[in-house]
Amino acid sequence: MPTFAASCHLLNATLTPALSSHHRRLPSSASRNPSSAPSVICSTPSKNSTSDSPQTLTPPIFTYFKKSLPAAAAAASFSLLLHFSPVELCGGSINPPGSGGGGGGGGGGGFGGGGFWRHIFSALPAVADEPQNTEWDSHGLPANIVVQLNKLSGFKKYKLSEILFFDRRRWTTVGTEDSFFEMVSLRPGGIYTKSQLQKELETLATCGMFEKVDMEGKTNPDGTMNLTVSFTESTWQSADRFRCINVGLMPQSKPIEMDPDMTDKEKLEYYRSQEKDYRRRIDRARPCLLPVPVHREILQMLRDQGKVSARLLQKIRDRVQKWYHDEGYACAQVVNFGNLNTKEVVCEVVEGDITQLLIQFQDKLGNVVEGNTQFPIIRRELPKQLRQGHVFNIEAGKQALRNINSLALFSNIEVNPRPDEKSEGGIIVEIKLKELEQKQAEVSTEWSIVPGRGGRPTLASLQPGGTVSFEHRNIKGLNRSILGSVTTSNFLNPQDDLSFKLEYVHPYLDGVYNPTNRTLRASCFNSRKLSPVFTGGPGIDEVPPIWIDRAGMKANITENFTRQSKFTYGVVMEEVTTRDESSHISPNGQRVLPSGGISADGPPTTLSGTGIDRMAFIQANITRDNTKYVNGAIVGQRNVFQLDQGLGIGSRFPFFNRHQLTCTGFFQLKQVEEGAGKPPPPVLVLHGHYGGCVGDLPSYDAFTLGGPYSVRGYNMGELGTARNILELAAELRIPVKNTHVYVFAEHGNDLGSSKLVKGNPTEVYRRLGHGSSYGFGVKFGLVRAEYAVDHNSSVGSVFLRFGERF
Amino acid sequence: MASQLIREWAGIQQFPAATQTKLLELLGKLKQENVNTLTILVMGKGGVGKSSTVNSIVGEKAVAVSAFQSEGPRPVMVSRTRAGFNLHIIDTPGLIEGGYVNFQTLEIIKRFLLDKSIDALLYVDRLDTYRVDNLDKQIVRAITDSFGKEIWKRALVVLTHAQLSPPDGLEYDVFFARRSEALLKVVRSGAKIKKQDTWGSNIPFALVENSGRCNKNENEEKIIPGGIAWIPNLVKTITDVTLNGSKAIRVDKKLIEGPNPNRKWKEFIPLILAFQYFFIIKPIQRAIKQDIASEARPAWETRDTGSQLRKY
Repeated sequence: MPTFAASCHLLNATLTPALSSHHRRLPSSASRNPSSAPSVICSTPSKNSTSDSPQTLTPPIFTYFKKSLPAAAAAASFSLLLHFSPVELCGGSINPPGSGGGGGGGGGGGFGGGGFWRHIFSALPAVADEPQNTEWDSHGLPANIVVQLNKLSGFKKYKLSEILFFDRRRWTTVGTEDSFFEMVSLRPGGIYTKSQLQKELETLATCGMFEKVDMEGKTNPDGTMNLTVSFTESTWQSADRFRCINVGLMPQSKPIEMDPDMTDKEKLEYYRSQEKDYRRRIDRARPCLLPVPVHREILQMLRDQGKVSARLLQKIRDRVQKWYHDEGYACAQVVNFGNLNTKEVVCEVVEGDITQLLIQFQDKLGNVVEGNTQFPIIRRELPKQLRQGHVFNIEAGKQALRNINSLALFSNIEVNPRPDEKSEGGIIVEIKLKELEQKQAEVSTEWSIVPGRGGRPTLASLQPGGTVSFEHRNIKGLNRSILGSVTTSNFLNPQDDLSFKLEYVHPYLDGVYNPTNRTLRASCFNSRKLSPVFTGGPGIDEVPPIWIDRAGMKANITENFTRQSKFTYGVVMEEVTTRDESSHISPNGQRVLPSGGISADGPPTTLSGTGIDRMAFIQANITRDNTKYVNGAIVGQRNVFQLDQGLGIGSRFPFFNRHQLTCTGFFQLKQVEEGAGKPPPPVLVLHGHYGGCVGDLPSYDAFTLGGPYSVRGYNMGELGTARNILELAAELRIPVKNTHVYVFAEHGNDLGSSKLVKGNPTEVYRRLGHGSSYGFGVKFGLVRAEYAVDHNSSVGSVFLRFGERF
Repeated sequence: MASQLIREWAGIQQFPAATQTKLLELLGKLKQENVNTLTILVMGKGGVGKSSTVNSIVGEKAVAVSAFQSEGPRPVMVSRTRAGFNLHIIDTPGLIEGGYVNFQTLEIIKRFLLDKSIDALLYVDRLDTYRVDNLDKQIVRAITDSFGKEIWKRALVVLTHAQLSPPDGLEYDVFFARRSEALLKVVRSGAKIKKQDTWGSNIPFALVENSGRCNKNENEEKIIPGGIAWIPNLVKTITDVTLNGSKAIRVDKKLIEGPNPNRKWKEFIPLILAFQYFFIIKPIQRAIKQDIASEARPAWETRDTGSQLRKY
């Protein structure tokens, strides 16, 4: 379909006065020019030719839209709409009244548009179906006689059972695969009136591709007709140079009516001036984006062919357009071939230059409104290639869409190129945005029934719980936000477990126009976690758990270098309280005695020894991440360094330097072709994690070994708690069908530093301090199913986990 | 505890005359060397006969012996005095609980020993166990970790249940040699005593038989196979260890708690921080910049340089 639409385009383009005048310049071609002369009148309205260009764009763009749908679905709630407003489809409304009527819209019986409009629509089933609904008339003639087109009756509807193309030059019948076939809108089995057939013939005759076209019918016994289109292809002098120019934004050269009474001298003068004009036009035109290899390819085509034929031009046009569309220049069109019959073929392309970038806000009903978001915020997310003066590219549009979507400010985003009415071949990029509600508050409640005495729930054990949250987004239109939430499982007794969070986010710390992208975050928080420090090793049944409650505030600045690499630094002030199962503050860990009793003489839980620590420290984290997806497999490197630097402020003046370095490399083991549906490469993952601490180290900040993100096959903290740790892992991923299977081996070691943690929790809870594991697994979507063998006890077990290990 | 009234060593009189003579001789020897007090720490696995050995040395039932269960995780100090000479023997509960070294017990022992000095360590094990295993090593390591390597200079390995007939028709001496060699190996590896430290291989052994059915010689002294009266021999070995020139182990707070790991390297933190900034954070930042520079850009980004370079 795209090629179909485009072919009409060339047909249309070759009609432009500038070109046909060139044809006529040469005496040799004068004889066939009269046939093209009426075409000038037929489709002169230049408006038509330009408004046509966007239309012919429609097919590739719509297909793009469909393709973009899955991507849009993945990103939840946005869509990229790249379409041209349908208003312009009715050519009549745009045409100047006079020329429009003359242009051929008038005669069309069943079809509203002119000849070439029909070309466009003929491919659309809805239009094509129309004649089939009506009855057709028998030709009423003896079978097997040849009838000229003008001999047919103007009142009958003829059914064409077969359409043949006959190349007079080659003296053969060409098949439907020939490139000319698609220029004809007639289809076998269709029902047409004489005037329709005449119109078709006229269109073919005027398109510039043929020197001569004829139609004849051959009657069939069953009342249908076979139509033979015989033609002679246009040819021009052979050329050995090729040039591609961007004629977008250039005014169409005005046709000068040639007086038929001109003398030969005047004619010569006229042609000369035409030629001069054209040369000037070429000089003024901008160079194309078309790369040298394609250029060379076309030159080769020209050389192979010898004479420049209409078919060759069609091929060249297809090749050039294919390149543009493959590269995402969806608005690019070959509009004309000029300078024919010289040594050079000039391909005129409208590339789709962006003349304007419009950002619009819409309300829920789609009305244009004044938005709250400030424009620079959106503008800084747009790729440079979407600004004025660049050629519109769909990839740039997609990029813009992704970037704007990542702001999380809009419920709907449309990036929409449309033709610029004021400037020919220009594209206005419209970005339509629907803003999300700025303020939002939410209350969700839940009742939990706690088993009372005897295990039966009582009325008193009904607990109302829930979450209250509020959000104020996009303050001042600068994407600043405040959000807060309070969650409790019991509103009647909220002090039991109340978790809260209050956060203020201030992006563009260095100003909206500054390319440095730093974001300030300040938050108050609390959290409650089960400490993996107080976990038993193998053979120890149950260690009474210790809960680590943290409450405090922090402020940090994040500098984003790329989408994935960033540097965060800030200050944290927190109070850490350690509690036992019944929420009593416990300054020491507990252990179960062999007699069954519990003694609270385990390792100290806090630095202060009271069960409550307060401290302030600096936290910094730098992440370098250059991973990318190769056919769905992650490849690249990720390095993370995290540092907690104590300031000596807090209980017992904690001064420490706690650091962690994580290096993960995803190595592609085989080069693969990239593209959708292609299999991902096998990947070797190597991972190393070093953690260490110098200075004051409370047990809750000590590093623990074992667990799904440390050493697989063990429980969290099952291997030990240490001051310095080293974890090494290797995983080999082999793609199988749509997913991958993997084998892995991991090792975690305390480097003998378990005893350097106060109270030596590793030994108290009988952990080994080091351990290895190996195993294999399969990935199903987000879930990993793996079998891991714990090397310390040589026992294997199956795990189901969500997400990635690395 | 030193202020406590120390009981007279009455038990010594129960010993046969020959034994008494030898013991007094040894005490005299110690006194000559200006040693008036002797503190002996008895450690080992549970049920190997630590308490019985203590009772045998003292000559009375000073510590309760229960055959099947330890009497609770508390060390007991038995103090006796004889002619101005003080003997303290500290009996400890077994260090093994449920197949592991019980660090809590060890902790309690350490706290009990606070501000005392240990003159001799009796590491007690049975002679009639044929194998050594990892557990033995762990005990040795735990003791070493608690009191330092030096304690093994003041240690003697006591093998109880010495009155046995070796299996497979082995000679008693050969069996003893093998058993002691195996144990010595464990001690040396558990305590991480280097090969070149000759004292490591010179840890003395003493054989003990606490059973009432113990053979006796003509002087009514309890003897072990080989005919040696073991009580005087044991005390003699202890005396030798005490006088071998090494220092007594003084148990103080520092020894118990070990060097405070939180203090270690603390003064270097600013240097470490500077190192991290210049040699980790900065290189990562450079790597990120390099990533950005070498990032593969899609063709449309590089191709279209905009109309600034192209004329309109």
